[in-house]
Amino acid sequence: MTDAVDVVLVDDHHMFRTGVKASLDAGVRVVGEADSVDEAIRLVRELRPPVVLLDVHLPGGDGGGGAEVIKACTDLLGETRFLALSVSDASEDVVAVIRAGARGYVTKAIDGTDLSDAVRRVAGGDAVFSPRLAGFVLDAFGAAAGDVAIGDDELDRLSAREREVMRLIARGYSYREVASELFISIKTVETHVSAVLRKLQLSSRHELTRWAAARRLL
Amino acid sequence: MHPTPTVVAPRRLPLRRPARGRVFGGVALGLAAHLDVPVALVRLGFVLLTPVAGIGALLYAFWWLAVPAGDPADAAQEVRPSALTRLARRQAIVEPGRRIPVTDIAIGGLLVVAAALLIAVRSGADVQADWLLPAVIVLAGLWLAWSQLDAVQRGRLRDRAGGRTPVSLLRVAGGILLAGVGVLLFVGLASGEGVEAATLVQSIIAAVVMLGGVALVLTPWWLRLVRELGDERAARARESERADIAAHLHDSVLQTLALIRSRADDSAEVARMARAQERELREWLYDDRPAPGTSVAAALRGIVAEVEDSRSGPSGDPVAIESVVVGDRVPDADTEALLQATREALVNAVVHGRPPVSLYLEVGTSEVEVFVRDHGDGFDLDEVGTDRFGVRESIIGRVRRRGGTAKVTSSPERGTEVHLVVPIRAVDDEGVQP
Repeated sequence: MTDAVDVVLVDDHHMFRTGVKASLDAGVRVVGEADSVDEAIRLVRELRPPVVLLDVHLPGGDGGGGAEVIKACTDLLGETRFLALSVSDASEDVVAVIRAGARGYVTKAIDGTDLSDAVRRVAGGDAVFSPRLAGFVLDAFGAAAGDVAIGDDELDRLSAREREVMRLIARGYSYREVASELFISIKTVETHVSAVLRKLQLSSRHELTRWAAARRLL
Repeated sequence: MHPTPTVVAPRRLPLRRPARGRVFGGVALGLAAHLDVPVALVRLGFVLLTPVAGIGALLYAFWWLAVPAGDPADAAQEVRPSALTRLARRQAIVEPGRRIPVTDIAIGGLLVVAAALLIAVRSGADVQADWLLPAVIVLAGLWLAWSQLDAVQRGRLRDRAGGRTPVSLLRVAGGILLAGVGVLLFVGLASGEGVEAATLVQSIIAAVVMLGGVALVLTPWWLRLVRELGDERAARARESERADIAAHLHDSVLQTLALIRSRADDSAEVARMARAQERELREWLYDDRPAPGTSVAAALRGIVAEVEDSRSGPSGDPVAIESVVVGDRVPDADTEALLQATREALVNAVVHGRPPVSLYLEVGTSEVEVFVRDHGDGFDLDEVGTDRFGVRESIIGRVRRRGGTAKVTSSPERGTEVHLVVPIRAVDDEGVQP
């Protein structure tokens, strides 16, 4: 087993932080906790952990919650990766943190083992998609309407393969199950998911930008 | 009809002048958001139209005055009936500021123009300057008075109570004074030095012009009053609706907590109540709800809730269903059959399978698909007797009668997945269902 992954845990509910700390396995070590936007920015800048577990709805700062923390730490995104954690799975909350630069999104209902896996995956540079996030991606990219990319470099549509991977994740498949269902390696699944995450962050897709422009995310 | 994804944004954002990202008054930005076109295009349009008899500048000024400041997305939310809007505060969008000091640049530009004029006069250019001073004074007065409209609205965001502030009064008074002086100067100019027979006519004209100036100056004041009245009324209505919702929430949450406390020894029941309450709260807090009877997604949520509440897993524990919905449409007889089949599949997954149970519904352009998956030991469909009504009739039969397909894949390692597809029948223009 490799060294434990250091994480900073950001959530304004003390009870929830305690619960998360207790549920994480030995491979993940909580090195710092913060309960507000300002405190989180300070702590992340000071500790520069490989992974930050970040609540989406946070008090303090200018009211921007988790997305504001990420934006204030944009220069650290190379070494520090953010995994968003929220009780809300509303699409607008999700897309705000993802477009700000988070590497994944999980809901707070996740159990300790899955969360620890997600932390390691994010630390390894991969993206973590919950079924809900996959569903949102399919919705926003018009994949249900058969709007599928032809070339690999298209940012505004999913490729047929990416759509397939997203659909399986939305159906509750783990990366391993997706891999065996599509007869590809887990590594390839991770590549596809990372590509989708990149599109989600960079795409100027109509539905995303219309929404994002209105909220001035761009 | 097109099954457009409705989760992301409302169809069209109302016209507002956003505070963030604006260059002057936020008119172009607001128009761009409203018309859903790139903001650069709108700005270009204004710039191109300005040399055409000043249409661009006039339009801009008109919208600046007539369109209230505010966040279009927030305004879109306020338009929704509050009973259907999520309760949780929306996250503000915070962006590292990149402010261009537009006001400073504009003033600088004006000074440069003035300097150029002065130099031109000095160097002997024949500038007809008689009318210039009165014109400048009148314009300054108008600007002073009209500018309060914008300033007051900005101030109101910070301080809702702030109504007739001394500053805005000063602005109007100063505006009237300046406009009056300017108009008098005009009249003086027109009448020359001496008092003539035509003076009477001229002074009448002067008075009319004066009154016109005053009316022009007071218009924004009146506009503002009217608008504020409407806003306040709307705010009060919203407030009381919010209070109703809050009361409802507190009641339901408190009730559940009390129930949980009294039945703390029954862990399965406690888990079920907690789950039901979580679901309800989540819906209230984070989802914008569609009007009843207009959404397959909402109908599906109802079914999931009913199954979670009424059925237990093999060990007696309640089972949570992780559901994901992509797209939405208005329910019809076909989707109704599909949802009923989905319900049966969910009941099977919860009662006979093993958690986690996943549900995925996708509304495409030509068909609606449902996947229901559990992680149980699976079963062999061929071994299920033909007389058993469950899977064959209530799931597969129901969907096939609607021209759809149903497929059950099951294995001990992978659990069971039920895949249901129902084609979408085109709705004709009268909206009549076959």
